[in-house]
Amino acid sequence: MTLCAENVSLRFGPCPAVAAVSLEVAPGTATALVGPNGAGKSSLLRVLSGELAPSAGRVTLDGQPLSLLQVSELARRRSHMGQSAIMAFDFLVEEVLAMGWLGRAADFQAALRDAVACCGLGPLLGRRFNGLSGGERQLVQFARALLQIWRRRSPDAAPEARYLLLDEPTASLDLRHELLALRLARRVREDNVGVLMVLHDLNLAARFADRVALLANGALVSAGAPEKVLTGEALSGLYGTRVCVERHRRLDRLVVHT
Amino acid sequence: MNSAAALALPAVGRPLPNRAPVLALLAAALLGALALALAIGAMPMSFADILGEETALQRLVFIEIRAPRVALAGLVGAVLAVSGAALQGLFRNPLADPGLIGVSSGAALGAVAVIVLGSGRLAGPLTAYALPLAAMLGAVLVTLFLWAFAARYGQFSIVTILLVGIAVNALAAVGLGAFQYLSDEGQLRTLTFWMLGSFGRANWPTVLPAALAMAAAAAPLFFATRALDLMQLGESEAFHLGVAVQRLKRRVILCAAAAVGAGVALSGIIGFVGLVVPHLVRLLLGASHRWVLPGAALLGAALTVLADLLARTVAAPAEVPVSLVTSALGAPFFLWLIARVRP
Repeated sequence: MTLCAENVSLRFGPCPAVAAVSLEVAPGTATALVGPNGAGKSSLLRVLSGELAPSAGRVTLDGQPLSLLQVSELARRRSHMGQSAIMAFDFLVEEVLAMGWLGRAADFQAALRDAVACCGLGPLLGRRFNGLSGGERQLVQFARALLQIWRRRSPDAAPEARYLLLDEPTASLDLRHELLALRLARRVREDNVGVLMVLHDLNLAARFADRVALLANGALVSAGAPEKVLTGEALSGLYGTRVCVERHRRLDRLVVHT
Repeated sequence: MNSAAALALPAVGRPLPNRAPVLALLAAALLGALALALAIGAMPMSFADILGEETALQRLVFIEIRAPRVALAGLVGAVLAVSGAALQGLFRNPLADPGLIGVSSGAALGAVAVIVLGSGRLAGPLTAYALPLAAMLGAVLVTLFLWAFAARYGQFSIVTILLVGIAVNALAAVGLGAFQYLSDEGQLRTLTFWMLGSFGRANWPTVLPAALAMAAAAAPLFFATRALDLMQLGESEAFHLGVAVQRLKRRVILCAAAAVGAGVALSGIIGFVGLVVPHLVRLLLGASHRWVLPGAALLGAALTVLADLLARTVAAPAEVPVSLVTSALGAPFFLWLIARVRP
């Protein structure tokens, strides 16, 4: 029961974007994908989501190769949030949220109420999506991605495994909403969801991810617990600048600074 | 979710602005336009005349001339507006319309070829069908070419299709120019009239098959409305939400091209309906294609029927080409729309 890349490579023409990466995302865990610009983080995410077919290797979702799954079946079991742009036409915020809903119509109101409450979107309802700020739009897209894999809570059976793939989910969020989004990402993983998020901020990666995968030049440098992967030595070499990593005594967490 | 949050969120249960009455209003407007267009014309007649046994001539004019003409205007208007709305949605581009992907120039090329090369050579019962068939063939061929080229040499991406569309339109313009150069006075007049659009040649034997073709081609578009909505998030997110993006593109482009091809094959080029009506409908019904497509069908039909009414009455008994009317009304409205949207 994992989303699993086995020896995956991806080329755009002659340039390798991803080189023989093996990575596993298990339901119930949050993994951060980090690395310098151009390391292949977004490309790897898009291979894992099934959008790009790998030029070598394969991706499996709960044991089934992605290439054999229907697009609609895939959509039910993983959601993806990319960078959000303005839309060509004027949709309302609730219409954008409804785009994420693939479940039964009868459950939509409950799910919508849940998502709106979680993400604090109440004040944005009824407004035009294109009239929102970049951060507000990102929050709406985040809620939309959550709705896509929302399941009715049932006491007797755990919901099926799902995966949430986030490409820089906090890029335009302010401090409060950054925390809100990443706390939510941690919370949904308890609902049998595997979370994989591309993050640029190594402090956020250290704080909110159970595992960190460090990518450079398309290859996986290391993957594991944050304190194993995020070391001053490794980061200084990869980022080409002096990076210090220490455990903050009062906060009791890793702090990365330059 | 706790109860305090529930209390703070009365807005969630609030339904979207009620759009069904607006749609009903558009349907009523279409009925009104149809009634008006059927009642007014060069030959004065009342509905009582038609139902009664007054004059056989009036009945003949009504059933064989006016009714098919109004029907064709309504159908072509609906098909242009629906195709325009679907293509704008697919391309995520408010400037897209059926002309952009070369459908109209393809149809024009086919029609003009028949007018110039066929005059004097065509005879018999098939003459009436030669021009519409050639126009439809032209529309379909140009679309297939565009599609094949984009799929072969590009990523079948929206930008590729738009760019190839521009090139295809330019090539078709060369063909049109050549035929114009070759044509004689009479042909030039027919050709010009076709390029400016007219519903004047409508009769049931050609309108009925064209109506079937338009309906069959446009119907699948109405099943793609949710996918078109999801496309607004971008192709990548649409895929992630379960849309088979390449298949959707093929379906929408081919259906829109075939529907418009079948329509303009009989009427000639009708300007601005496919571009402007979808925008007008979005002002009334919002951006969701679930509402925009039916709304565009109703409003496109109503406005085109009225434009044709104007075209055949404003200088009666002479006729103004209908595209002059639609463009004269559509272009200023489009300018107003641009001025309104800009901050």
